[in-house]
Amino acid sequence: MKAPFEGRKMMNVSRSSLVKVACAALALSVASLVYATVDEAHDFTMEAAMPFVEQGFIVREDYWNGEVKSGQKLMITHQLFKGNEYAFWLGTSQEGVTLDMKVFDEKNQPVQIKATSDKFFMSVRVNPPKTGTYRIVFDLKSKKDAGVLWALSYGYR
Amino acid sequence: MTHLVFSSVFAGLLIGTLNLAAAPQGTKGVEEFDPLAFPGKVVGDVVVPVPSEVFSVLDKLGEPNWRAELRKADLPPSSDRTKLSLLFGYTVAEGFVAVQAEDKEAVKDLGRDIIDLAKSLGLSKSVLPHAQSILDAADKSNWSAIRKEFDQTQKTVRDTMEQMKDIDLSHCVSLGGWLRGTSSVTSVVKKSFSADRAELLNQPMLVEHFVSSIEKMPAGTRDHDVVKSIRKGLTIVLQQMEGAVDGFSKDAVQEISKTCDGLLTEILAKK
Repeated sequence: MKAPFEGRKMMNVSRSSLVKVACAALALSVASLVYATVDEAHDFTMEAAMPFVEQGFIVREDYWNGEVKSGQKLMITHQLFKGNEYAFWLGTSQEGVTLDMKVFDEKNQPVQIKATSDKFFMSVRVNPPKTGTYRIVFDLKSKKDAGVLWALSYGYR
Repeated sequence: MTHLVFSSVFAGLLIGTLNLAAAPQGTKGVEEFDPLAFPGKVVGDVVVPVPSEVFSVLDKLGEPNWRAELRKADLPPSSDRTKLSLLFGYTVAEGFVAVQAEDKEAVKDLGRDIIDLAKSLGLSKSVLPHAQSILDAADKSNWSAIRKEFDQTQKTVRDTMEQMKDIDLSHCVSLGGWLRGTSSVTSVVKKSFSADRAELLNQPMLVEHFVSSIEKMPAGTRDHDVVKSIRKGLTIVLQQMEGAVDGFSKDAVQEISKTCDGLLTEILAKK
């Protein structure tokens, strides 16, 4: 025979489980939202890449992405090969964000030859003067959000 | 690169401010950048270039005989996931050589090898659509589509491994690919040596990245015979790269070539 409180305990457990399930569902939906937005940032880099593809650039499947504090500078080191022309595309899915990106060589000199920007992305071109390691420095400043989701893709020809 | 979300490391050791101010007028008007005074975050993730990025430069510098660079290697049967991952990277890189050679049959053979390796790794579900696209595009000799699919295949496999917390295996895929790609580059450079071609081997940051990746691997993978050999071989390669301050000599290229080829022989060994 069950103790009189057992059912209540069960009910409490069920309530607690329900709360946990609800929290998990909420967390999952928030996570999917975040991932969706990160994916959207990447989508914008692909939109930026379109005119470059028409000019013969090959877009790499690998890319960098993440979330950064508005205005915080980020630096990526990347291998470039002299003889190729490169294009880097920085994107975000958030509105009201100002993007900035520069590429520096091993002697810390800027090497980008052309930069263009749009509402959700910007592009820079690089003709590396030497084969070696380059630094891509960028930031995204938002007028309203503390954090900015970003993606950076590149292509070559 | 989904595995790249927020793995940036804070460059706390870097103090000061980013010196992006324009140089005084009358000089060159260029901006200077001091990485030692970078106040921001350094994104620690490295995107390893695919072999075709280097091959495209070699094509501009001459007309390599890519067919002569193809290797008809029989993949050794194995259930060793570390070795299978290295072989996977090797096979995808070989695919890029086959694309460069525009060899339809070689591409199809490699597409089938990719399916077999994916099955052995338990990754068929994510790889099969790409492998099928490679086979379809090979029938149409659609080389740009094949190149894209090889790139996507490698990314999918590495992403899937990382989702399964097999980051070490993901690095092994990159390593196998880089070794095969570098071996092809040295082979082409040796056949027609020039400073411009040899300069393509100046990749110390990538080698350091691989060394660091191996050091962070779990002991089981790090102490794997082939991985230990790769670790040792990368040290030799890095020495050659760091010693090439005034450009790569023929001997340096030969040394890198010999090292990469030796490692690939170990990866392909039936053991």
